[in-house]
Amino acid sequence: MAPSTMNIQDAQDASQATAYDSLWAGSEVPTQALSEMEQVMLSNDKLYVVLAVVLIIWIGIMILLLRNDARLKSVERTMEEQGTSFDDGL
Amino acid sequence: MLLAAFLLNIPKINILEHTARNLYFHVPMWFTLMAAVFVSAYHSFQVLRTGEILRDIRALQAARIGAFFGILGLVTGIVWSKFTWYVGTDIWWNFDPRQSMVSLQLLIYGAYFVLRGALDDPTKRARIAAVYNLFAATTTPFLLYVIPRQMESLHPGAEGNPAFSEITHPIMRLVFYPAIIGFIGLFWIMYTQRVRTALLKNRVSHDPEL
Repeated sequence: MAPSTMNIQDAQDASQATAYDSLWAGSEVPTQALSEMEQVMLSNDKLYVVLAVVLIIWIGIMILLLRNDARLKSVERTMEEQGTSFDDGL
Repeated sequence: MLLAAFLLNIPKINILEHTARNLYFHVPMWFTLMAAVFVSAYHSFQVLRTGEILRDIRALQAARIGAFFGILGLVTGIVWSKFTWYVGTDIWWNFDPRQSMVSLQLLIYGAYFVLRGALDDPTKRARIAAVYNLFAATTTPFLLYVIPRQMESLHPGAEGNPAFSEITHPIMRLVFYPAIIGFIGLFWIMYTQRVRTALLKNRVSHDPEL
């Protein structure tokens, strides 16, 4: 059977999937044993997937903040070199 | 305000279980990207209309932070799909149309940053970058929303899939909408921070590039 005429539910693994996503429809039953990472990620109702997603966003936002801080600091340094004082007694 | 944005978003996630909660995190990334694109395109348009080249800085910083949120959205999407739809397949990337189109869009914005960096004369740079940025902004709705809806995809609203409004429980909207507002607010804070830093730098060293 040519892959193009095959029903997506018949797809046994990724190589038989259509050009773009149709794989999930045929993957009710895992086609191979779960890897260790998947076992961890799928435990507790897949809550760890949410954890991973949230952590990625948190770390990303932290990086963005730190970069902002670095830029601000470089401007402060320039201003100090020019003799502009920031010391407001704080 | 930054703290408030975090505190608003985080405690509420305990309402529901399962990966559906990613709706609060993965999806607002794309709303934020879209908002950033609007802000960026508006300022690019103003550069061309009024010739205020400092607005170019606003366009640049909005695009940068927007692209950053776009990358976050892409990475979280990869992780989400890997452990939800691609279980047992060893696939991380399966050319979901929306995923592919979004990568393409991020590459278009990558070219914008490179193009901008390649020009030395500030006036010329502002104008050329503004023209290109307007082009990049026009392709965004098509690549993000129009094309993926015409093709088979994991995402809601694609062919054969129910759209957001049909599948989302009201209780999730309770968190989802504030999450969108929160993330866009976060974008706005970071964006204005950068613009203010750039203007400060411009004042002390006559060079607004960060």
